[in-house]
Amino acid sequence: MTARALRLVLTQRTALLVVLLVAVVVTMTTLSGNNYLSAPYSASYMASTLINAVPLAMLALAELLVITSGRGGIDLSVGAIVSLTGMVFGFAYGQWGWPLAPAVLLALLLGAACGALNGFLVAHLGFPALIATLATYYAFRSLALVVNDQRPINSAPVQELYSTATAVTLPLVGDALPRVPLGIFTFLVPTALVVWFVLARTTAGRRLYAIGTNDVAARWSGIDVRRTRWSAYVAAGAISGLVAVVTVAQFASARPDAGTSGNGMALPAITIAILGGVAITGGVGRVAGVVLATLLVVWLNAGILLAVPGNDGTQFQLFALGVVLVVAALLNALTQRRYGGTQ
Amino acid sequence: MSAPAVDRPAAARPGRVLPFPVTGQEVVLIAVIAVLWVALSLATPAFATEGSVVPLLVAMTPIALIGIGMTVVIVTGGIDVSVGSTVMVCAVVIAKAMVGSGIPLVAAVALGMGVGALLGLLNGALIAFGRVQAIIITFGTLNLFRFAGLQVFGSATVEGIPPTLAPFGRGDEGRTLGVPHSFLLLLVVAAVAWYYLRHTAGGRHFFAIGGDPTAARLAGISVRTRIVLGYVLTGLLAGVAACFVIAQGTSSLAASVGSGLELSVIAAVVIGGTSITGGRGSVLGTLLGALLVQTVRTGVTQLGWPSQLSDLFVGAFIVVAVGADLLRQRRRPTPKGTT
Repeated sequence: MTARALRLVLTQRTALLVVLLVAVVVTMTTLSGNNYLSAPYSASYMASTLINAVPLAMLALAELLVITSGRGGIDLSVGAIVSLTGMVFGFAYGQWGWPLAPAVLLALLLGAACGALNGFLVAHLGFPALIATLATYYAFRSLALVVNDQRPINSAPVQELYSTATAVTLPLVGDALPRVPLGIFTFLVPTALVVWFVLARTTAGRRLYAIGTNDVAARWSGIDVRRTRWSAYVAAGAISGLVAVVTVAQFASARPDAGTSGNGMALPAITIAILGGVAITGGVGRVAGVVLATLLVVWLNAGILLAVPGNDGTQFQLFALGVVLVVAALLNALTQRRYGGTQ
Repeated sequence: MSAPAVDRPAAARPGRVLPFPVTGQEVVLIAVIAVLWVALSLATPAFATEGSVVPLLVAMTPIALIGIGMTVVIVTGGIDVSVGSTVMVCAVVIAKAMVGSGIPLVAAVALGMGVGALLGLLNGALIAFGRVQAIIITFGTLNLFRFAGLQVFGSATVEGIPPTLAPFGRGDEGRTLGVPHSFLLLLVVAAVAWYYLRHTAGGRHFFAIGGDPTAARLAGISVRTRIVLGYVLTGLLAGVAACFVIAQGTSSLAASVGSGLELSVIAAVVIGGTSITGGRGSVLGTLLGALLVQTVRTGVTQLGWPSQLSDLFVGAFIVVAVGADLLRQRRRPTPKGTT
């Protein structure tokens, strides 16, 4: 019985994540109940911190697509795409006076174009993904900083976007549930549903898993490997373009270093994808794992902020992220050897 | 009395086992750097002066020095993205020790090397014995080391660092006959690493592991020891680089030190022609890659362009350099290991 439970937790990444998630929430709630925290770790606090989950989960989904496409797939440039696309979106919506819908569409298309460049280098020219996206990371980051002389764009229309980032009361359920940030419903849930549908219910998704598992076998079974891999990078770029809009709304300003300051947005996104059970060797990864991993990291971080106040809090978040990633990787390797991999 | 002449096969003749010391990639890099230097000298008369070249050579030393270690790591098929955090931890420990107890130069360098080697050992042990992809582990330790460094920092910058490390700096103390000491030290380390990797059995083992780890193990190479050694070397050199970084800075040290350094180092290494998939690479290429990156940075600044623009050119050079390498590999279906 215990052996079977252990096997389930080790081989089913979603099962492990659910266990960890429950452990984190129960621990934090208990600490909160005993007044060990600087503020209550309540349902409404947990709901409000979900605002951090939106960009994180979306970029992790982008990494899911790219890493699953195999042959060392990875995208270091997503944060730089967020910076660059955010600036262009800021120009279009904040200075050229475009309506919101075309401006968002522009961000989506520009992100996809950036991704298409990555995909062309990787899938068609055969660059190692790490190198290609390192190069475009530099290029996009530099363009984002130069395009407006390192100044952010925070004109009136951009500042008014902030209202779309606030929390809303759910219709139908009303006040029974806490207020949830609007971005969850307008951006994260649709993106997650689309990615899930494509991966799990379409031939395009099956093709992606096929080329990630075995390039050569996929080619011999008639799959256009280059085009499929290229599409994964385009999709990752498009998602990054949407994240740019979310980020501009969240900060009420289009910042030239939005996705590249500090450690940038790419490293946390890759971390969450790995934690969510995406195999770095390609061909393995699920949307549910990525979403659960995001919730785990966001709620763990939120708890740490309350448990360790001040500067130390953000530092301990780094510690927690590092430990979680190393342990998840060691666990993946162990599972691989004992049970033949996660699912 | 004369013995019959025996024709030895070409491969057995000493000196013919290895390819020519300078490969195609390095020739291309030397040409590109030469063109850049000539163009920059023509565009801005200030470029070719001592006041511009010496700071350029000093500024490239941390990246090139760590790049030598990174070359070894990448040749074995690994990667270390935690070097920026390693530099940060080493720098803050050295700075605190210099402010607190006024340790001399030798002790500061030794301290940096010790701390760096320890962090490298942690990376190497996790990767070799946990049998995990290097990129994932070092992403994790990037965060862990950063946390450790910030804890040592407390919540403030380190102020009032004594000029103990000035002999590695940009100023007059840092030069002998006009040549910066840090650059000389870099050349010495690079020469030793070049000889070791190219002409000793131990050095060739790294290439064998990168080419095919299983074959290397069956050939009797202790793969794990070699892999750990690569990361320890990288950490150790990051510790020395931390001394250079302090020497080039002011008397205060901020927590942002080393942030993003890992990407500059990897850029220098791949521009130098080291294959990210392992088995192929050279120390000389890495030096040239670091020199190219620093030339671009200095050049953009001296031309009066926005300094952030230099990253755009660095990105373009990565694409061009790696693209040229890919083209050459395609023309030669069976890539041979080079230095």
